[in-house]
Amino acid sequence: MIEHGPLLERLLAGEFVCAVSDDRAFRRLEDEEVREQIDTYLRPLNRRLATNAEGSVYFLAWRQLNDEAREQLSRQLGDVLHSLMPMLEWLQLMQEAMGHDALVAPGDVLKPAELSARCEDNQSLREQLERLAGDNFFGSQSEQLDAQMKQVFKRLKEHGYLLQPHTDRQVYLVTGKIDYLVDLVRLIRDEENLPVDDESPQTQESLL
Amino acid sequence: MKEFAVRDEHELESRLIGTGVERLALLGKHADALMQGYSRDEVPLEALSDSALRRLLAARIVWRPDEQGGVKLAPRVRELIAEMLADETRRQVNADVGETLELVRTLVQSYREAQSQGEYWRQEQQLLRLRQAVDDLNGRFADAIDSLWQRLNSDFGFVSRLNDKIRENDRAQKQIVRLLDGLQLIDFDELIELVGSDGTLRKLLISQLQRQVSQHYTSLREVQSRLTELMARFRQQQSRSRLISGMAAFLREHPNFVPGNYARRSDVPDLINQAAPLIAAAAPAQDHEPDIHVLTDLVHQLPTPVHKPQTVAAARPAEAEEQSRVAARQQALKQDVESFYLAVIDHPDPMGISALAYLQESDMEWGDEIWLFQVIAEYQGLPRSEQRAFQLHQSESQASRFNDLRLIHDVTLQLANSA
Repeated sequence: MIEHGPLLERLLAGEFVCAVSDDRAFRRLEDEEVREQIDTYLRPLNRRLATNAEGSVYFLAWRQLNDEAREQLSRQLGDVLHSLMPMLEWLQLMQEAMGHDALVAPGDVLKPAELSARCEDNQSLREQLERLAGDNFFGSQSEQLDAQMKQVFKRLKEHGYLLQPHTDRQVYLVTGKIDYLVDLVRLIRDEENLPVDDESPQTQESLL
Repeated sequence: MKEFAVRDEHELESRLIGTGVERLALLGKHADALMQGYSRDEVPLEALSDSALRRLLAARIVWRPDEQGGVKLAPRVRELIAEMLADETRRQVNADVGETLELVRTLVQSYREAQSQGEYWRQEQQLLRLRQAVDDLNGRFADAIDSLWQRLNSDFGFVSRLNDKIRENDRAQKQIVRLLDGLQLIDFDELIELVGSDGTLRKLLISQLQRQVSQHYTSLREVQSRLTELMARFRQQQSRSRLISGMAAFLREHPNFVPGNYARRSDVPDLINQAAPLIAAAAPAQDHEPDIHVLTDLVHQLPTPVHKPQTVAAARPAEAEEQSRVAARQQALKQDVESFYLAVIDHPDPMGISALAYLQESDMEWGDEIWLFQVIAEYQGLPRSEQRAFQLHQSESQASRFNDLRLIHDVTLQLANSA
């Protein structure tokens, strides 16, 4: 167990471990035997190792859902819902600013300076950034575009959605926690039967 | 007769080579115009003289699809350029196995014929063409597979939209199916029968071709599975993007939407079950002998504090100083109270002397409360024999009608015998 010490500590501290945030630890967690060892260790702490549907992130879940755990989960769910709209808007902003038709994905490299430059040239992106940076979740007080972008990235790093490999360089990596967020959105959609469709329209070939 | 035929064939060959060189040179000479024809629809004619155009048409490098229309690149030339540039948007996958096999059959028969008639030169020529046919077939598969890998490894980077990537991936998968179908056409039983006992043909058409075909087969299967994987990823990306934009649109329309509290359900969804953070804290401990050395080392490694060195006298622990300051004040208070007692003895007053009045007349700065407290404490601290020499009157009142707490407002001290 000793070799898993640092990993356990990070998991216990509430971190999400993915291939981007810690490749070696992630590969170890993909080994069922290691997962079982860790689970055994966590048992007296009423915790267990959990993952999302694709198995792209690992985190700790309550083993037994007692009242206290439910209380904490409700609070946490409330926090997540608070951050949901700004997070969705951020995802859309990134997609538009980079001219992609796919969302940012784990491992993508983001450079705030580059993104600021794109927003500067585009009034609509500029407004989107302004709106989301001012949201309580990101909490930017600044009117400067660069500062807003910086604050947004800082908060995303604090929340584990982004990783900054070198503290002196403004280059960020998207972590697997983004997958978790997308899964959560899908869960809410399914649980509440929301009219949100994610199936692609039938391709022309298959119509012919 | 035979000699003439051989000479004719030699002449024919050298004429072919001459024309070939001439026509290949046309490609280089008109490279600009031809490349413009490659990137646009038509070959621009302004740059070409009439005779140049005639030569290009004769070499079938360009052609005129209809009399009124412009001049376009011949399909083969377009393919050649696409192949040279590894231009995945236009590169074609065309293994044409059926036709090649037909050619192989014909060539094997000619080869046999030449062999039986002892025409060695013609036999050699047929063998050469056979080798070329097999190499071409092999090369076409290798090219096709290379093109597929290129597209795969670049994530279909030559198109930017996800929808185009999905369509391109689909097209590539269909090409693979066609290539696999092509490989199926190569029937080794038939080839074994065709080559008979001829060792050269056997080596070329059986062992070499078999090895190559099995390699292509493996590569194609590999590319196919990777393409399927990539397709799944493209579809997943597309679905994620649609999900997020759909949800964002929904939330914008319904700003007051609140989902249920899944944590209160009997069956909590796994995804939201995320345990509270737990910090595994630790502090230096000295109850484990071997650790003490480590701790000592660590302490030694601590950076030296940046304070200026202090004199030994001033470097007393701050707490001790605080304590002694309190003690000094306590002592001063006690002395002042003793002076009050002495004053009572020196100026005997039958009415006694009020402690508060004494305090106010003096220039002492003690608080009323602490002064009274010390006066009473001093009285109680006297030996019983000396206590009898004084009388201490407390002027006091009840705190309230319902509270029997006695509040002392002042004390008066007088000598017992003066009363």
